[in-house]
Amino acid sequence: MHHALGVAGSYPLLVALWLLPLAGAVIAWALGPQLRTLAGWLVAGVVGISFFLALLSWGAGTQQAGDALGAHQVLGTWMPGFDFGLLLDPLSLIWTFIITGVGFLIVLYSVGYMEGDRAYARFFAYMSFFIFAMLTLVLSDNFIGLLVGWGLVGLASYFLIGFWFERPTAVAAARKAFVINVVGDVGIMFAIFLIVANVHSIGFGDAFAAAGSWAAPLIFAICVALFIGAAAKSAQVPLHTWLPDAMEGPTPVSALIHAATMVTAGVYLVARCAPLWSHSAQAQLLVGTVGGVTALAGAILGTAQWDIKRILAYSTMSQIGYMIMGVGVGAYEGGVAHFFTHAFFKAQLFLTSGLVIHALANEQDVRQMGGLWKKMPFAFWAMLTGVLSICGVPGFSGFFSKDQVIYGALVHGHPWLYAVGIVTAGITAYYMFRLLFVAFLGEYRGKLDTSHLHLPGWVMNLPVGILVVPSVAIGGALMFGGESSPWAHFFAPLFGQVSAAATAAAPPISEGMTSAIVFALVIVGFAVAWYRYARPEVQQDAVARLRGEAEHMPAILTNRFYVDEIIEFLFVKPARRLGLFFGRVLDPHVLDGAVRELVYWAGWGGAVVRSFQTGFVRAYALILFFGAACFIVYYAIAAGAAH
Amino acid sequence: MMAAPLINYVALAAVMFFIGVAGVIVRRNPLVMLMSIELMFNAANLLFIAFARAWLQNVGHIFAFLVITVAAAEAAIGLAIIVTTFRPQRYVDVDEVRALHG
Repeated sequence: MHHALGVAGSYPLLVALWLLPLAGAVIAWALGPQLRTLAGWLVAGVVGISFFLALLSWGAGTQQAGDALGAHQVLGTWMPGFDFGLLLDPLSLIWTFIITGVGFLIVLYSVGYMEGDRAYARFFAYMSFFIFAMLTLVLSDNFIGLLVGWGLVGLASYFLIGFWFERPTAVAAARKAFVINVVGDVGIMFAIFLIVANVHSIGFGDAFAAAGSWAAPLIFAICVALFIGAAAKSAQVPLHTWLPDAMEGPTPVSALIHAATMVTAGVYLVARCAPLWSHSAQAQLLVGTVGGVTALAGAILGTAQWDIKRILAYSTMSQIGYMIMGVGVGAYEGGVAHFFTHAFFKAQLFLTSGLVIHALANEQDVRQMGGLWKKMPFAFWAMLTGVLSICGVPGFSGFFSKDQVIYGALVHGHPWLYAVGIVTAGITAYYMFRLLFVAFLGEYRGKLDTSHLHLPGWVMNLPVGILVVPSVAIGGALMFGGESSPWAHFFAPLFGQVSAAATAAAPPISEGMTSAIVFALVIVGFAVAWYRYARPEVQQDAVARLRGEAEHMPAILTNRFYVDEIIEFLFVKPARRLGLFFGRVLDPHVLDGAVRELVYWAGWGGAVVRSFQTGFVRAYALILFFGAACFIVYYAIAAGAAH
Repeated sequence: MMAAPLINYVALAAVMFFIGVAGVIVRRNPLVMLMSIELMFNAANLLFIAFARAWLQNVGHIFAFLVITVAAAEAAIGLAIIVTTFRPQRYVDVDEVRALHG
């Protein structure tokens, strides 16, 4: 009856790599004032050890025994079907690598970035706690553990977005992110209700084994409920509005949580539940479509932003749209591959933007930048490689993963999503090169004295330098060669049986042709960006031109497609009206009124009964006597009647 | 042998009981009321003993002892209440003792 996913056995290393960041968080939190700047090194060390343990777990995570794949560690048993444990299979292994590996680099970077902040240790405690929560999410072997991790990463995200809580905008952004994420948590909760009601188990394996026998409406409902969670966490339309606001947090937080790891939890969820999605073509269509719409919407909105981090935030939303589209249509390896490369190049882009923000005294508006390639050549080259990678220039990591997703949409029979993916790639090139050109080329347009820039030290440059390597090369190293690439081999045991079914007829356009079309559109996007922002003529009067562009920006773009307003109108305002109705009508008049009436009538009854209590003992005796007499007479008559 | 028919005992007990009831209802002196209550108890005891003797069952005797015990306890409490109400004003009338009226 019980279907475990991993090879049964004990794997204490897994428990260690899972709990170490929690220990780091507790120590950094409790001893923050004593540790001072050591807190940063402590958390970096702890996360580094976790990464090292994850590397050591490679063999355990990829081991196979019969149907079982990966390592499994039981943590506790509750009732039959309600067992809690950790599972390390290829999917969670990849996520663990990114969480601890990229997490380590970002924590290292934070040691420099957060220098001088008065809540230094608190920041690292939160970061370490986040890594623990995210590991809980990806290592759980059951839906409850997943939901616990899901909630905890939302909490860590709330803490870190609102880290600078003296800023009202940061507090508002943190609250918005938390509320929207809770919408997703509730979706997953309902999915768990449905699953437990049908299989009486919370284990992934039991649900996947039973999925084939479920009715289509049931499995569709479960997938939709799960996807509400995925959409909220991964900023999919229409639950994406919290992500750009989340940029109020410190830049390393944006890199780790809101680019590399947490926001990709939705991709993980869909990939993890691939056996469920593979049984419901409607659910696949829904998820793929939402992903495609998000990819396109994020890219379009990215063209209209001026805040460097918000451009990257919309870019993240767009790229996660790609991933969701990939895992949605059934191209699971492709979606996960894009998560993998995106984690590197987007973390690199964010950290590089952090270098710039740090150097320019927290300036985030690209209009106030310009000419930085001369002042900060390292940041310029790091940004350039990141941009080339995200645009999918052939040879860079982003090229391999993005093409897998776009082509996967066609292979799995979604030509419209394929077209959306290609168009989005062109827009991506436009807005990313726009960011690069406006921020780094031309003349400096800000107010600072650029001869004394606060240039970052090695502790910030080193992680960026390390990230450049995978964001350029890891795609080519792992994903070159399509079906025979190491990446495809790695995931064949996991996704082989679920995604093989869909590839029936050869698509009309070959993969090479697809790459050529995508690259042509990337060139177009680059050319438009060049024409508008980088020609020598336009750089003459860049300040006036950029001001003019900002003034003539279409209202629909500056208002971000009015999604916030629509949500406000559909949900927030009715909720507020409902609250007012309860507060002004229902509570005072119905609920309080009922209590007041009860009190009044109880008092009245008491007054009536009290009036019998005269205090005359002889009167009581008389009443007692007549009462007893009545009884006696009654029984006498009854006895007489019986004879 | 039976000295007198049962009906005589029942009649005597009934007379004693109603004298007691009348005493409780009519008199205002709590001491006399207490004595009247004792009279009612003893009417009941008399019936217990008489019926026990008539039907040759010892349960009635046992119950009579129980009633005597309870009556002693009741008298002790009653007298204590009378003493406490008597102390402040050197005068007792149950119709005056009505501090707990509604």
